Amino acid sequence: MSTPAAPLPPDPYGFSDGELAAMLAELAQDFASSLNVEETLQHAVDQIITHLHAEAASIFLLDETRRALVCRKCAGPVDITGLRLHPDEGIVGDSVRSGRVQIVRDVSQNPSFAAGVDQDTGFITRSILCAPLAVRGETIGALELINKRSGDGLFAGADIHLATTVAAAAALAIHNARMAEALVEQERVRKELELAREIQLSLLPTDAASDLPIRGINLPAREVSGDFYDYFRLPDGRLYFSIADVSGKGMNAALLMAKTTSLLRCLAKTTPDPGELLSRVNDEICETASMGMFVTIVTGFVEPRTRRILLSNGGHLPPLMRARDGSYTDLPPQMPPLGILPGLAYPTDTLVLDGGCVYLFTDGLTESLDSDSKQLGLAGVKRLLDSAAGTSPDTRLQTIVTELEAVSRRFNDDITMLLIELGEPVLLLQIAADPRELAQVRTAVQEAAELEGCGQKCVADIVMAVNEACMNIIQHAYKGDVSGLIEIEMRREADALEIVLRDFAPPVDPGGIKPRPLEELRPGGLGTFFIRETMDDCRYGNLCGRDGNFLRMTKKIT
Amino acid sequence: MTYKVTTESGFSIVHLTGDIDLSCSPEARKAILDRLAASQHTLVDLSGVTYIDSSGIASLVEGYQTARKKNLQFGLIAVSEPALSVLELARLDKVFPIHASVADRAK
Repeated sequence: MSTPAAPLPPDPYGFSDGELAAMLAELAQDFASSLNVEETLQHAVDQIITHLHAEAASIFLLDETRRALVCRKCAGPVDITGLRLHPDEGIVGDSVRSGRVQIVRDVSQNPSFAAGVDQDTGFITRSILCAPLAVRGETIGALELINKRSGDGLFAGADIHLATTVAAAAALAIHNARMAEALVEQERVRKELELAREIQLSLLPTDAASDLPIRGINLPAREVSGDFYDYFRLPDGRLYFSIADVSGKGMNAALLMAKTTSLLRCLAKTTPDPGELLSRVNDEICETASMGMFVTIVTGFVEPRTRRILLSNGGHLPPLMRARDGSYTDLPPQMPPLGILPGLAYPTDTLVLDGGCVYLFTDGLTESLDSDSKQLGLAGVKRLLDSAAGTSPDTRLQTIVTELEAVSRRFNDDITMLLIELGEPVLLLQIAADPRELAQVRTAVQEAAELEGCGQKCVADIVMAVNEACMNIIQHAYKGDVSGLIEIEMRREADALEIVLRDFAPPVDPGGIKPRPLEELRPGGLGTFFIRETMDDCRYGNLCGRDGNFLRMTKKIT
Repeated sequence: MTYKVTTESGFSIVHLTGDIDLSCSPEARKAILDRLAASQHTLVDLSGVTYIDSSGIASLVEGYQTARKKNLQFGLIAVSEPALSVLELARLDKVFPIHASVADRAK
């Protein structure tokens, strides 16, 4: 090894202890003030050649693979920044491998010296002092000093202590700067995931603004996953829906999700067959998506008139249809996910909703843990759905969420569900937007509410709310144009009646529909207040896919 | 809805009967405002009202406000159960003078 041939002569710097301490303190402070690795390293070499009277100094760090020592910064007559050495090579290699200071007073006598640099540059190396850079027992590189500018030009005993001390401070500074950069990187990744999450959320339909017989939920996990769902009404009255899980996480998944959902949205308007829809989107994704990314998906159309659901499944969990009698039908995928193999012909399946409902979900649900820490699986999901049966769709989804949250406080994966249910209407009425139609509406609504078992007060409330809602449409949506149409639909939802009114007038801003303050005594504006006062829930929104507005009211049967 | 106007104890009395909704509330409104325009103290008899919506209530509110401006008396008499529940919902049962009969009001 690099044991010096002769005992080292004493080489006092002429520093007093106080001066030495001051110099080290200055160095340490300088290191501490920089949190940028590059800057810190440059400071270190500059300071070191000044204070240790060296002709040149360089800092070698092990790269990420620990298979190369790379000169990251140097000071002196020859720039060797970027020089890569094998970790066993040269005096630097000796120092890193052994974790000890190496001193070679006379280089020409030492076999470890990698003479290549001198030959290439013309620089004459006479003496080397090399101290390992170590933090918490781990060597990360070495500080190398070449040729002393004072005394006999060779390093000596006192230099060892000084170099060791400076190297320790430099190593700590590098470590801190690296930690700081890692934090910045972590923050960057976190921001990216947040942005991806925002993109994801912005693509989900808002349930509050839907009069459709489809409900969706998406419970975000800690990490962004690639779940999404979508649904909307087509101008011919059919409803489009899809639920999907994009492989991978983060921005790439969010972007593939955005692309898939946009393609589907666009093509669904002209492609009535879900199998064909998936085939076309599959080809498009295969052509352009990054390697190894794919999408499991169920997409389809609900036909409210025929009560049929046409759907196609690309490698996704089977949709579960729960019939009125509590039995289940599932439709396992017959084709692989989208984005794997182009040119596939995805088939279309048909379900008939005869009073039942269809649940669609992602693997976040089936892989949720039950109270015995076992995955729910399809059987567990069915048990969960059974326990929630008999209540309104919103209540059911909420019950499922509550059940899952009771077991695991945090979900490992996004949990995404869609529920499609066509309740049997107890009243379906279309009238002209004419005040003279109101008496007929009140009679029909009263009869329907009485048949569903509503008491006298409950019937009066429902009649009033529907009457007021029709008035608002006549006066404010159609502005007195009696050729407009109003649709009134009442459905039984467990122990409540859901009443949806639709008009086909230009869209009204739902946020602009407000009850007037009661203390403001003036004619008009009472209708909205009456509705809010008598109904358990009411939501306004614009129809999707065509001009129009809806009001969805819920009243518990009492 | 049908209505008639009578006179008793110095009051014009507008008797409203049947369902008062948007299809007829303009008519009811005009009947009430006409009385006030003629500077009559006015009472509205709601005993025969089977249903009243917010537009009907609005007509009553307008009558009440017009009467106040013109320093005329205005009130409701013999309010039917369906009409009272709507007035209560609108918190107007405390605003309008409500009496069982004209005689009661005249006291």
